[in-house]
Amino acid sequence: MSGGAFDYLKALIVEDNQHMRALLRALMNALGIATIYEATNGDDAFVILRDRKPDVILTDLSMKPINGIEFTLQVRNAATSPNPYIPIIMITGHTERHRVEAARDAGVTEFLAKPITAQNLFARIGEIVDHPRPFVKCTDYFGPDRRRHRSDDYAGPFRRRDDFENDVAIA
Amino acid sequence: MKRRQKKQVETIIAVADYPQLLPAPRRAQAMRTLRSSETVAKANRVISLKKAELRGAVMEHVDLIDAAARAKDWSLVFDLAHEIRGMAATAGLTATGRIANGLCRYLDALALFGAEPDRSVATLHLDAIVRSARTEDDAVRHGAIVADQLQSLVDRKLGEFKETATS
Repeated sequence: MSGGAFDYLKALIVEDNQHMRALLRALMNALGIATIYEATNGDDAFVILRDRKPDVILTDLSMKPINGIEFTLQVRNAATSPNPYIPIIMITGHTERHRVEAARDAGVTEFLAKPITAQNLFARIGEIVDHPRPFVKCTDYFGPDRRRHRSDDYAGPFRRRDDFENDVAIA
Repeated sequence: MKRRQKKQVETIIAVADYPQLLPAPRRAQAMRTLRSSETVAKANRVISLKKAELRGAVMEHVDLIDAAARAKDWSLVFDLAHEIRGMAATAGLTATGRIANGLCRYLDALALFGAEPDRSVATLHLDAIVRSARTEDDAVRHGAIVADQLQSLVDRKLGEFKETATS
């Protein structure tokens, strides 16, 4: 699809299940993304991230030896990370609350629960394109702002109760 | 408003200060592509074409999960049930996916406490996973009833477990 909005993007799919990997690749192709790299675990994915410099990552949560949460932490925080700001969509069947919270706290940009549907996947990509979030850096977190609520009539940085307990600096 | 004691410094990096997925001129075009019925239909066709392959993979995992349960390898049972729930739902095996999800929920909750699962609860789920995956349940949806009942069973067993653990 020449001249499409997505055709020059490079995507990295990190998924140990070959069938889901093939499905995600086909969906990315349907969107017009032609350059797609694949990895079956976080270790291999980090090498591809460094060598191929993809623009967006779709990752599963459960993988061995390095799972999606550990991989995300590495992408966001490692000194050797080539792009700590890269959008990461975590696609998983995990619905257990503690796992979802761990993914969010690792710095995932968007979370997509299985079953995968075109509408849901495209909605998450649309969020990244149309509503990018500021990044937050503090002692125990680096990643997209986890406070998703946006108030149209409020432009200030203080949006939660304990902001008044913290020092907030705008970079 | 008075600030209380300072806890930590939080730096906010504004959207304009880090690289975006697409440059501004391409964003409107990208959103049109994402919302286009043609793109969505194309993607849905992709998913439809993959369903048979995913169903085949679910059946392979069903064979493996049975063996793992007989060996009482609950960690492997969880991993396989997790794979099944992800693929089954996308493959249109809704009941299979829901039942596998219930088994994951049960095993995950007990694993957090290092407790051994009740074999009969696991067996009921495994039988239901096997049967719902092997029957073409999409039309009659008997599996949905089974999934509801197994969900109630898991709720009750986890409730009992938490009560015992806290008493």
